[in-house]
Amino acid sequence: MSTFMDLCTPEDISPPATPPNTYFARPSQRQRSSYIDPSFGDNPTQLATVLDDQQLDYIRKVKTIFQQLTTEQKQFFLYEIINCCDNQQLTFVSDIIAPKLKIDFLKELPIEISLHILSFIEDPRTLGRAASVSTFWNSLLKDETTWKSLCLKHQYRRRNSSISGVALLGPPARRLNFSYREYFKRKYNIEAAWAQGGKVTTCFDSLDSGLVTSLQFDDEMIVVGCDNHKIEVFNTTTGNSIHTLEGHEGGVWALQFKGGEIHDPERLLVSGGCDRDVRVWDLNKGQLKHVLRGHTSTVRCLKMRDKRIAVTGSRDTTLRVWDLQHGTMRHVLLGHQASVRCLDIHDNLVVSGSYDSTARVWDINTGRCLHVLTGHYSQIYAIAFDGSRVITGSLDSNIRVWSAETGQCLATLHGHTSLVGQLQLSASTLVSGGSDGCLRVWDLDNYECVHQISAHDNSVTCLQFDDKRMMSGGNDGRVKLWDVKTGRLIRYFTMPAKTIWRLQFTDTRAVVVMQRRRNNSPEEGRTVMEIHNFDIGDVPEMLANNVIEADEDAEMQNMS
Amino acid sequence: MVQLLSSDNETFTVDKQVAERSILIKNMLEDVGESDAPIPLPNVTAKILKKVIDWCEHHRGDPVSQQEEINDRKRLTEIDEWDQKFMEVDQETLFEIILAANYLDIKPLLDIGCKTVANMIKGKSPEEIRRTFNIVNDFTPEVRQFGIISHCYFLAMLST
Repeated sequence: MSTFMDLCTPEDISPPATPPNTYFARPSQRQRSSYIDPSFGDNPTQLATVLDDQQLDYIRKVKTIFQQLTTEQKQFFLYEIINCCDNQQLTFVSDIIAPKLKIDFLKELPIEISLHILSFIEDPRTLGRAASVSTFWNSLLKDETTWKSLCLKHQYRRRNSSISGVALLGPPARRLNFSYREYFKRKYNIEAAWAQGGKVTTCFDSLDSGLVTSLQFDDEMIVVGCDNHKIEVFNTTTGNSIHTLEGHEGGVWALQFKGGEIHDPERLLVSGGCDRDVRVWDLNKGQLKHVLRGHTSTVRCLKMRDKRIAVTGSRDTTLRVWDLQHGTMRHVLLGHQASVRCLDIHDNLVVSGSYDSTARVWDINTGRCLHVLTGHYSQIYAIAFDGSRVITGSLDSNIRVWSAETGQCLATLHGHTSLVGQLQLSASTLVSGGSDGCLRVWDLDNYECVHQISAHDNSVTCLQFDDKRMMSGGNDGRVKLWDVKTGRLIRYFTMPAKTIWRLQFTDTRAVVVMQRRRNNSPEEGRTVMEIHNFDIGDVPEMLANNVIEADEDAEMQNMS
Repeated sequence: MVQLLSSDNETFTVDKQVAERSILIKNMLEDVGESDAPIPLPNVTAKILKKVIDWCEHHRGDPVSQQEEINDRKRLTEIDEWDQKFMEVDQETLFEIILAANYLDIKPLLDIGCKTVANMIKGKSPEEIRRTFNIVNDFTPEVRQFGIISHCYFLAMLST
């Protein structure tokens, strides 16, 4: 033992055979708890049984002397001691040292640097695991910056779609509660529910077994138009019936409502059908406001420009422009030679597709026909319009792209082998669905077919897409969810049915109306409505407090 | 040439162009003007300063851009090979490099340091993270069982 003392006297210092790292000294100003007590202090009672008092006292003295040495002297001391250790002891020393050389970076670094580190982690699961490392890491992961950048990376922004979840908007007083963490969490949960399946509410007995012709819903109401003359209105959350709108004397073939937003809560519904009448309803109250008369045959299609103007197309070959506030007719659009099958509106232009194989562009204000779009060889069944491009789908199995300004045909999109009955246009992406069971995704900048999907064994009866996903329903009774970017099937959506009447989805919900076989008599169908809710979250009150306002949203879009 | 003085009084002579990768030094030079006096860097030791200078030497030609990260996030989550080698150091050194990069205001070096730490976290279980950084699990048993689930349910759900 006395050799220790000798070694440690400053006079005896001589350079070690192999100089240890001269940078051994900790340069940091920082004090870490693990460095404060370098003794074997973890288990003093156990040590006391191994050593007698005299030995303990001696070791304490050595320790005191060690602490008084200069850096170089300490290194020499340690070098000497380590050289008299065997491998077992070295392993012991190594085990003690290794963890002490580790640093809790997130805790020791300035907090803005720690957050900067977290900003390089894009995987929410890694962040999730990190949050359960320690209380400090957990609190760090509640920081908004991390989640805000994660929202941006995952492109979780509210879309500007007219059918996006309006309920995400709350009263302005609750704006302060906005949290990116909560927002991310909610969006992530919604995404997960879309991929895996949400909460499904099935309504069996609220609809007759008849044909369903039309469907529209928002966050509060689902409106279903039926061939049995009725319009059924349901609560979107519960699926319970709110109203049955009766009055039409024939099947309802077309309907649309507007309103139901925070600053415009009153919903105005327009419906038309076999009885030639157009009816205007206060949807919230379930009351009829106007009956618009003029058509001389079935109303086959209709669109509202806003809550003041609607345009209807009929089997009587005319379109009519209606003033919804006064309940009067503004114009009769004459020109088509056969039934008007489909129409679309953008600002003051309306486009219509007819069984006379032509489409027409009309001015709503004057009622004048601006262009006749001639080129299809047979009936037009579907039309889409974004203000400049008119897209038509026809029984001749072609899709045509027209200029609304000049009336010229810009392109003919070949590919479908049968009637093109479904079209949706969004920016330069067009999706078409045909009686050949195919879905085609087109890029209208190059007029190229990006994806060709054999989606259904029978006609595609309905389709919808947004910037992420696409849903299609067919006469084969299947509903399928697709990744619109890759064209790949994400999953089947509901159990197989006999046929799919209509579907619609928003960011957080999907509603499918279909005909299922009855268990006891498979030939007989019954109409079933399914409401799929993807905003099922985890802690309900968090969702209630979780409010995103449009300006927050705009801010996020600006940042991206 | 510019002279830099570390906290432990070692002097380094480097090209002005290299030294000016540090916005702190660049600003100092602009404020002080031409001078032969060494610039004192009281927060950086010689060991770390040498590492930082090595990095600046290697990256002396890099374009100095502050906006690129926003536009090109993807490229920036990767670390190039030289930098990866450069960052193969013990945690203490890495820690000091990050602090020095922050103090000297060398954004790209700070980013690489932070990315290196982020990569040490990625793909690990909470226990593996604790072992990597010698962290004590200080959640109370109740929180461990219920707290994470109720208070932080989502995060726990993601971590399974």
